[in-house]
Amino acid sequence: MRLHVVHETHYSYSSPVVLSQQLLHLTPRALDWQTCDAYRLSVEPEPGEFGEGRDFFGNRIARLLIAAPHEKLLVRAESTVSVARREQQALALPHAAWEEVRDRVRAPGGDGAAGAALVEAAGFLYESPHIETWRDLASYAAQSFPRGRGALEAALELTRRIYADFKFDKTATSVSTPLREVMGRRRGVCQDFAHLMIGGLRSLGLPARYVSGYLLTEPPHGRPRLVGADASHAWVAVYCGEAAGWVDLDPTNNCVVDDEHVTLGWGRDFGDVTPMHGVILGGGEHELAVHVTVTPLES
Amino acid sequence: MPRELLADYPQDTEHYDEMFAAPIEPRAHWKPMLERLAAEPPERNRERLQSVQRQMRENGVTYNVYADPQGATRPWELDLLPLILPQQEWSGIEVAIAQRATLLNKILVDVYGEQRLLKEGLLPSALVHGHAGFLRPCHGARAPGDVMLHLYAADLSRSADGQWWVLGDRTQAPSGAGYALENRIVISRAFPELFRDMKVQHLASFFATLRDSLAHWAPQGGPGAPGALLSVLLTPGPHNETYFEHAYLARYLGLPLVEGTDLTVREGCVWLKTLSGLKRVHAMLRRLDDDFCDPLELRGDSALGIPGLVDAMRRGNVLVANALGSNLLESSTLFGFLPNLSTKLLGEALRMPSVATWWCGEPAALEDAVAKLERLIIKPASPQLRVEPMFGEDLDERGRKRVVAMLRARPNDYVAHEIVQLSQAPVWDKAHPRRMLSRAIGLRVYACATPNGYVVMPGGLTRVASADARVISMQRGGSSKDTWVLAAGQVNTFSLLRRAIGPQELVRAGTNLSSRVVENLYWFGRYHERCDATARLLRLALARLVDDSPGDDPGAQPVIVGLLRHAEILEPGKHDPDDAELVSELRAAISDESRTGLASQVRELGRVASHLRERLSLDNWRALNRMSRAIGRSRPRTETLSDVLVKLDADIAAFTTLSGFVLDGMTRDPGWRFLSVGRRIERMRSLCANLKYALAGPRDTDLSWLLRLADSIITYRARYSARPEWLPVLDLLVCDDANPRSVAFQVYGLHDYARRLSNMFGDIGEEKLDASLAALRALDPGADLNHGSERLGDFLDECSGAGYRLGEQLGHRFFSHVRESSRQTFAT
Repeated sequence: MRLHVVHETHYSYSSPVVLSQQLLHLTPRALDWQTCDAYRLSVEPEPGEFGEGRDFFGNRIARLLIAAPHEKLLVRAESTVSVARREQQALALPHAAWEEVRDRVRAPGGDGAAGAALVEAAGFLYESPHIETWRDLASYAAQSFPRGRGALEAALELTRRIYADFKFDKTATSVSTPLREVMGRRRGVCQDFAHLMIGGLRSLGLPARYVSGYLLTEPPHGRPRLVGADASHAWVAVYCGEAAGWVDLDPTNNCVVDDEHVTLGWGRDFGDVTPMHGVILGGGEHELAVHVTVTPLES
Repeated sequence: MPRELLADYPQDTEHYDEMFAAPIEPRAHWKPMLERLAAEPPERNRERLQSVQRQMRENGVTYNVYADPQGATRPWELDLLPLILPQQEWSGIEVAIAQRATLLNKILVDVYGEQRLLKEGLLPSALVHGHAGFLRPCHGARAPGDVMLHLYAADLSRSADGQWWVLGDRTQAPSGAGYALENRIVISRAFPELFRDMKVQHLASFFATLRDSLAHWAPQGGPGAPGALLSVLLTPGPHNETYFEHAYLARYLGLPLVEGTDLTVREGCVWLKTLSGLKRVHAMLRRLDDDFCDPLELRGDSALGIPGLVDAMRRGNVLVANALGSNLLESSTLFGFLPNLSTKLLGEALRMPSVATWWCGEPAALEDAVAKLERLIIKPASPQLRVEPMFGEDLDERGRKRVVAMLRARPNDYVAHEIVQLSQAPVWDKAHPRRMLSRAIGLRVYACATPNGYVVMPGGLTRVASADARVISMQRGGSSKDTWVLAAGQVNTFSLLRRAIGPQELVRAGTNLSSRVVENLYWFGRYHERCDATARLLRLALARLVDDSPGDDPGAQPVIVGLLRHAEILEPGKHDPDDAELVSELRAAISDESRTGLASQVRELGRVASHLRERLSLDNWRALNRMSRAIGRSRPRTETLSDVLVKLDADIAAFTTLSGFVLDGMTRDPGWRFLSVGRRIERMRSLCANLKYALAGPRDTDLSWLLRLADSIITYRARYSARPEWLPVLDLLVCDDANPRSVAFQVYGLHDYARRLSNMFGDIGEEKLDASLAALRALDPGADLNHGSERLGDFLDECSGAGYRLGEQLGHRFFSHVRESSRQTFAT
């Protein structure tokens, strides 16, 4: 599917900002199943300094610095992306038992690309700044992982359970709500569900990463409208062994990720791929408005 | 052997004794020291001890204790006796530490680069990816010369058989080298002859090497003035536990001491905000923890860091020493892997063993550790996991079960150590002037990277455990020792101060003065003057209440009460206090820090001064220290008023001494001018207030009090033998530009400073003083210098207003961009 994405972030400040430095994760990543056909980033006011690059995880980033005093900041990222279907392929891949995957990543390494992929996967095994693991979370996740079950099959069940047990509620949490609280209240948004599922998988010894991206706003005829489509979205990728590799699952929508999800990038948790992270001097109080629109294009 | 000296010294223990080879048989390298101590009269050592303690106190050698609820600084504890090590033994340590530094640096370079060790399975992924100290944004930043570890420290201890062991590695910003240097300066003065005769190796060349190494690897070219290499020392600020050391090292190495908010990143380079604009920073010796260094890419909640620093480092535009991310190696989980890594990476065996360690993340090690738990200490695997060490031997059955369950639940997070044996060394008993005690010691040694490999500091920081401690910790009340490494041949007496400076390296005054330092200098001037004015007002008010003071005119009393209210020492609007109330209020204003008065102002002066440590000379510090100690001392209610007055006299004398230092001891650079502007503005403020209140008071009154407040009574008496009258008093305090406490003196001075600063930095608003100058010149002594003159009142208003406006202007022009309390971090 070809998709057109517009992601706008407006800040208005009550007093002038004299220096603003921003780190952006707003550029879709080029992947086997995704190409970025066009991309444009516009910033108002015009940044004094601008640069692009890649982060540790290989995601595309942009940095900007505005030294002229301003009371409004607008960042608009616009892209055209082609996404291939991948749900069927993911489900058809040969799958390993989850314990096998766990034991293989515990001592990663080995020759060539396969060894490097394992070492990379092992990097997503541990707690990270926004994702702690604790006993209750581990035992919640463990219910889906009986002995010998396939890693993907078990992860799909965990996806389903989180979808069933947790209520989508935009007012329940904020960016800084700890995971334990989400677990206790049983409600949250896509970011919370992704963190929760990642924490559960990691506590079992399975590599899991946080994927940041978008959803198609109005689905094609006959498909249901997905939750979280009017903002940036987040889901989970779980490592299912050397043959199957990483499979993307969306606990907010109880689905395997297909061609309606646009991938920006991934990291250990939200903190690694925050769409816009910045440090400003001055500004006082601020108001924030974020608009995301994803529309299908004729292919 | 002097028996008395050793009466309490245990001669026979299971520990290695640094001084004795066998009971009453001293090791050869200790003999000269023991003989000296035995031969001298006991008073000699009492004097030495007192001198050491006085120097520590007066030099303000302190260590901040985090656990202290008051956040108080504690004097650094230093024992009189050094730890002595012979050359031969030291050579072994030296080679081993250089080797270990080389090895750790190679590991660090690999982990932040190719990650070959991970791919080959030589280093478990958990120790890198599972360690909070692994900073992903720093991966791929190629360090100049492949050096990430510029300054390295290792904590060593010695077992009963004389073998040295490594207890811990300090890799991100090792502390203590500055304290070692201060210890050396003090102890070498206590034993000057012995120090020379025993051929103790000097430390200075090590620090010169450190400085030269920074310069060697600092980037060249790019933006900023060509040729001018600027290195700085980055500190988290005065609240850090080792801030004394940061200031001390900055002064010793000649590096500007900067805080994160003094720096900014533009065009991918780091710049110091100075009075004359941004100056490119090429190298940075940092004492700020890794993850606090950049709120943009590392911890977003860090108020101490420099947004964009990681990017600047990655682009090779600034040398950060040690490289960001080096905290990763501060973990004893690595110990078990080092022997193998040494063979693989260096092709040689590890020369000095690490204390036996079991990282519980390895299943076999976990079982082993559980089996021998009672003989082990359990510690967190990385410093970010805030867990107190636990001693297996302290655990009862329930505790043991709890700890084992904890280890099994999160094995990666824990490491078990063997309980380390510590050697014992003599310490001087402070309670008995002629007695030695024995204490457990550990040695922290330092290595510095050079283009020719690591160089080890010939000496170190010896840390002394408190009497019953099982771990050595300065945070928990340990003491320290100087460390004497004896030279086999000639002592290298190179000192940092002897390096020849070429004409191209000459630095013009004040070029690298950071805006924050300048702001602090300005406030230092203001608080200094404010303290002086408050002390004089309090003395005046109190003296009038003491019987034996000269019979002041009671008519002046309401005016003085008015001034006390103006200074917020008395609450406004209340009924006039009687004598008893007044005494109690004045006493409180002198000693109670929680209210407006002398005590709180002195505290503010001290706070500002603490930000200026590296700018003030040692003599200046001693004066300040002595004063704040004297003022800080509690003044019990039982003290008589005369005693209080005597102390106020001493305080005022101290402020005057400080003025002397400012006048005589400081370079006339822009920083000094800002300090002076602060003083003049403050003095003008209090002077105008005093005059306004006097003029609003009764006409027929004895004006001695006004002269006394303005410290001008001697001048008056020398000029006029008559009793103070309005015309001559006002002439002296308003118009006489030769009197440093006249309004005219402040106006002319401020105008002059403002003009000079405008010449250097562009207009700063000297015209704000034009009206005051004109009004001053227009004053007609015959017509205007009298009680009830409207023109005089207007003039005084104009002057204090102009001072206020000038202060505001300086704030906007020079200081406002420094205030980063308004810094915010957002993530969306």
